[in-house]
Amino acid sequence: MNGWLWTATVLLAVGFGPVVWAVATGPVGRRVVAQNFGTSAVCLVMLLLAQGYQRPSYTDLALVLAVLGPVGTLVYARLLADDLSPHPPHTNLLTAAAALATTAVVVAVCAATGPGRAMVKLLVTGALLVAGNVIASRAVSGGYRNAEATSHG
Amino acid sequence: MGRAAAVTAELLAWWLLLMAAWLVFISTVDALEGFVGAGCALLGALAACGARRAMGER
Repeated sequence: MNGWLWTATVLLAVGFGPVVWAVATGPVGRRVVAQNFGTSAVCLVMLLLAQGYQRPSYTDLALVLAVLGPVGTLVYARLLADDLSPHPPHTNLLTAAAALATTAVVVAVCAATGPGRAMVKLLVTGALLVAGNVIASRAVSGGYRNAEATSHG
Repeated sequence: MGRAAAVTAELLAWWLLLMAAWLVFISTVDALEGFVGAGCALLGALAACGARRAMGER
């Protein structure tokens, strides 16, 4: 066990443990927000494991998750729009926490990787993760409802 | 003429962006990967142009 694996384990327990609980219980708004946060947590765990095991191919999993996770949340936001609109969930704090954690992990892994193509790949993955999380969170909390109303006449 | 030039410029911009992403994401850079990447980037660029036009014209 090195520092990367310890960090990944702690993140999995502290970040993903509550996500499983929040996804399985409570109102629908909280469940959607929790599964959106779960994407970020697992993505960061993958980045840390790639560094911990010295297997750069694990980064691909993080990349795929960073792209597909927010898309999944957008599907939920679209299908559950009627259930979410009376009480749109607050996502600002969790989005900020996810962005902060992503920045910290990506900077640390980049520092360990050193300059090169691998570092650019990590930065792109981190940027996709943060951007996807912000867009998906805004969609869940009803930020695009006006645009949606105009697009459907 | 102006419209064709604009579409070509947009296609080229998307192709350059996608080709750069391809070169960053692959593990080993060689000629074959370059050819495959160029083809995939062209397909992606066409799709991106189409998607952007579909969004812009609604």
